[in-house]
Amino acid sequence: MIQWKWLRSWEAVLAAALVVELLVLGAINPAFLSVENLLFSTSDFAHVILGALGLTLVVITAGIDISGVSIMGLASIVLGLSWVAGADIWVAVLIALAVGSLAGAFNGLLVANTDVNPLVLTLGSMFMFAGIATGLPGVLDLLGFKAYGAGGFAAYQYEGITGLPKSFTALAHGGVGWVPNPLIAVLLFALVLSLILHRTRFGRYLYLIGVNPNVARYSGVPVKSVLVAVYTLSAFGAAMAGVILTSYFTSARSDLGSEALLNIITAVVLGGTDILGGSGTVLGTLLAGLVLGFLRQGLLALGVSNDVIPVIVGGLLVGTVAMKLGLIAFNQRRGNRRAYQLEISETREGGGSPA
Amino acid sequence: MPEVNQATDPSANAGVAPPLVSLKGVWKVFESVPVLRGISFDLKAGEIHALLGGNGSGKSTTVKILCGAHKPTAGVIELNGQPQTFDRPSDAHAKGIYMVPQEPHIFANQTVRENLLIGLAGDVRAYSERCERLARELGLTCDFSTCAGELSIASQQLIEIIRGLLRNARVLIFDEPTSALTIREVKSLFGQMKKLSADGIGIFFISHRLNEVLEISDRVSVLRDGVFVLTAATATLTTNDLVAAMRPAGSAPTNAPEQAQSSAARSPTPTLEVRNLSGKMFHEVSFNVFPGEVVGLAGLVGAGRTELAEAILGIDQHVSGDVAIDGRAAPARSPRICQRLGLAYVPEDRHAHGIFLELPGAQTISASILARLGRPFLSAKREAAVVAQFVQRLGIKLSSPTQLARTLSGGNQQKAVLAKALAALPRIIILDEPTRGIDAQARQDVYRLIRDLTAQGVGVLVISSELAEIIDLSDRILVMYRGRVAEVPRSQARIDQVSAAVFGMAGGAAA
Amino acid sequence: MNRIVRNRELLVLAILGVLIVVIGAISPNFLRPATLINIVNSSLFLLLIAIGEMFVILTRGIDVSTGAMAGLAAVILGVSLNAGVPLPVAIVLTLLTGLAAGTVNAVGVTAFRVPPIIMTLGSLGVYRGLMLLITGGSWIETIPHSIKSVAAFRVAGVPALIWISLAIAVGVAFALKNLKQARYLYAVGDNEEGAFLLGIPVKATIFSAYCLSGLFAGAAAVVFVAQIGFVPMQTGSGQELKAIAAVVLGGVSLSGGTGNSMSAVVGALFLTAVDSMMIFLKVPGFWNNAVGGAILLAVVVIDYRIRCTVRDQQQRARAKEMDQSTFEKNSAAARSASVMGKAT
Repeated sequence: MIQWKWLRSWEAVLAAALVVELLVLGAINPAFLSVENLLFSTSDFAHVILGALGLTLVVITAGIDISGVSIMGLASIVLGLSWVAGADIWVAVLIALAVGSLAGAFNGLLVANTDVNPLVLTLGSMFMFAGIATGLPGVLDLLGFKAYGAGGFAAYQYEGITGLPKSFTALAHGGVGWVPNPLIAVLLFALVLSLILHRTRFGRYLYLIGVNPNVARYSGVPVKSVLVAVYTLSAFGAAMAGVILTSYFTSARSDLGSEALLNIITAVVLGGTDILGGSGTVLGTLLAGLVLGFLRQGLLALGVSNDVIPVIVGGLLVGTVAMKLGLIAFNQRRGNRRAYQLEISETREGGGSPA
Repeated sequence: MPEVNQATDPSANAGVAPPLVSLKGVWKVFESVPVLRGISFDLKAGEIHALLGGNGSGKSTTVKILCGAHKPTAGVIELNGQPQTFDRPSDAHAKGIYMVPQEPHIFANQTVRENLLIGLAGDVRAYSERCERLARELGLTCDFSTCAGELSIASQQLIEIIRGLLRNARVLIFDEPTSALTIREVKSLFGQMKKLSADGIGIFFISHRLNEVLEISDRVSVLRDGVFVLTAATATLTTNDLVAAMRPAGSAPTNAPEQAQSSAARSPTPTLEVRNLSGKMFHEVSFNVFPGEVVGLAGLVGAGRTELAEAILGIDQHVSGDVAIDGRAAPARSPRICQRLGLAYVPEDRHAHGIFLELPGAQTISASILARLGRPFLSAKREAAVVAQFVQRLGIKLSSPTQLARTLSGGNQQKAVLAKALAALPRIIILDEPTRGIDAQARQDVYRLIRDLTAQGVGVLVISSELAEIIDLSDRILVMYRGRVAEVPRSQARIDQVSAAVFGMAGGAAA
Repeated sequence: MNRIVRNRELLVLAILGVLIVVIGAISPNFLRPATLINIVNSSLFLLLIAIGEMFVILTRGIDVSTGAMAGLAAVILGVSLNAGVPLPVAIVLTLLTGLAAGTVNAVGVTAFRVPPIIMTLGSLGVYRGLMLLITGGSWIETIPHSIKSVAAFRVAGVPALIWISLAIAVGVAFALKNLKQARYLYAVGDNEEGAFLLGIPVKATIFSAYCLSGLFAGAAAVVFVAQIGFVPMQTGSGQELKAIAAVVLGGVSLSGGTGNSMSAVVGALFLTAVDSMMIFLKVPGFWNNAVGGAILLAVVVIDYRIRCTVRDQQQRARAKEMDQSTFEKNSAAARSASVMGKAT
């Protein structure tokens, strides 16, 4: 577990890194640095941060959920299908969020009631949700619904379900002043999660479970319900991301967000959350998500190929963790040495051999 | 009161062969907490040297350094007079030092044969015959192809002992080897140890059982707070000398905990009522605990008392029978529900079930009452107030509010777990081995706490394996034997008779 | 536990057998030897990756970069063949690429103590990026015939690659059972601290597990290129997760210490067969993932229930054993209790 002091300074490090990064990128390409440009570019990676924020809470309980990316696609396709089936677009959004959350509850129930590794469980559910998302239109089509939307199957293959109402698709492109809606969603979600995590007893339960679920159980913590709730919450975030992506790309597709897994986990880890559970903050993940997102945008703007970016992200992921672990070990050894020196000097001053 | 001897070095004479192994001025600091403060001692060839010390005194760390699992922060290890550095246990093994650990390191999914032979140098088949002979002598009777995970703790420990013997170490370290062994096994082990020492092997023996220490060892060293306070030949020592040496400096010796006051008037409604409770390790258990009284539950390790407590608490769901807490029936139980009804439980294994090691001690204390610290947002002020209240009341030594529980001494950790239970304001509290592994001062504090609780009308159920403790503390005594519980009548509450009951022998109360 | 694992492999094979019969009844073409051989043939890629993955999981680690390592190795193979490198040398280069990639993971996990999921997730990104860099984003479409003929070569009517792969699997199984260093893998996964204290070279063992994972990914790449004939961009994408599913299905526990290469074989065969069955049943391809995921979940949950029952039984047995030996223990404790006094 990382000491609190270290974490607080890690967020400061991230914030500093963010500033430095923006300045550097801006220096190379001044057009990059316009506030309007910066803010609007966040819409490109808002879904990553939404996924990462929810995942942070899950990882704090020493769990993990890699099915989030599939839930994004599932939510998207459910939204599209509900709308095609005749529901009002906003009702369809609610249905999509509900289905996504249910998927999270499914994960949570499995994790809470078996001792199987959450990685395996969410691996299986990732496949399952992705498969359902892909297969659902086909099933409904067989049942007679025009599941593929206006263009039929041919169009669906390439574009997903299109023709969504403008009021909806404008959502991801609109904003309040210069702040785009996806970013607002991210900030709101971050705020809510932060309050939950750091100020409520539910949030404290997450840390307790992550440190030692058995002790938590004996102490009266409702471990099972908390686990179900946290996976549901994380999935809700993923579902929101799916809805936003759908609006952004103006089409409902089952494979939206599937590339995001590496970025999501990198954001969580880079944000200072210990992958083994017991520590982490929402602010850290938010900052890390921004750092990563802008890094990607900046590199793209610089003409770096899209393919090289995962290399850099991967390297960052490994590098940060290695560096952090190394620093902790170094600090510990230094602290031990210092304590020993202190003891030695004290006893010498005390004028006698130890005891 | 006997004087505490200064550390002496018996082999300081010139011209004497260097000791088999020695530590000189060894320091070890963990997380800025010094655990060993410049210890020096040695082990002679053919000697059985016992190491005594309370929890947190540094015993485990000492032997871990000897066998290469830790490196000293400062100081020197010498083998036959030559300084050594061990980077890993296999370095120590190569030099002939092997430790038989307190908790067996078993590969649960591998066979017994593999567990015995793994890690041995060279062709393992050559060891096979010796292995089987040792197994027979020590009483390891299971089939070698069973999974080691299915064995009892005692058998797993035997595997460790055989491993040490197979490695022909010249220095063998036994860390509390007898805690789960039967008499026959202990006798056999001691026989082996005597034979090995006759062959010139030096044996280092950690134990808290003073009678065993006095029986088998040639020399005894007592470790307290990271320094050796006593090293002398066993023949010159008595039990009292050892007890005095281990007691923290400055605390007055007490021969018995304060006598339990039995409250004259007792409310007619029991605060805990157990009727016909049956589970895997107990049958048809029925008893009451009334407000303000202390009920002691005696029995031996493995009698099923912790399982009974956990069944009452609701950890184990597969039980039949009824439990009523503070007059209210509790058909569905879980730690959470029981807490709400007024039942608190202080577990036997505080590391596994009681304390959050990797969090500040304060967070363990507040863990049970988070619901009372504010809705929807926790009030940090209220939490700090509750924590401070209990830290003061129980005398917990916290150097800072953010101090991790892992760095607290055993006694303070136990107090933190107690605080957690008490914070929930229970009407009945079950204490499972509350004084195990804590220093004498903390022990007195616990006894005082029990008295305070009963004065407030709280019912206390104490589970303990120390008969003297139970007899001194309890108003009534229950004995658990082979899964059945019976009460010992007041007239028979003397140590020999309770003892008999605990062993199920005739003359005891248990039928 | 060993008993259950052995049973698990047989269990999965049995289920597979039943499924084959059922599908065969619905669609008799399924039972033609050619079809079945085809299934085995298509499972080889996953099988080899799964064996590599198994080494890592035995030590209680995880490797999510195996697919990317295979992809990278495949790209190297394609590029070197097209550059005129002779086939045997190219194959060796491919294997070395896999080995090198695995070694990077090994160094990160052992020397820098990066948690395996993080390390391999990071290297996943890096290797995939490298793949794209080397090929410039396009598929390697033309591959010299030399490698494709390897796949075509048959012995007794069965492709040589199948014989070779199965031989490798059996060889690995044998080594795992008998080779001392291989047993260290199990010990480290079962109880790392215990292994360390016993003098087992824990770091070296974990290091070699990740290297082997890379090596087998390289081998899988050879098979892939030989069978497919070209190197598409998504080579290996998602295979690591399928490989993990395959080994867990076949009985390798994620918490280490149990399982062996036959688990990987059985698991890979099962998953590939299920894919083929869906084709035969004319189920649209996108249901594969749903079914695969559901099967994985079902298997691990059922396994959990079984383990609970077994643990229950063991506890009852131990309670009885306690009962017997209680009396002897008593005497020892009694004597200690009366002499000991308060100072413990």
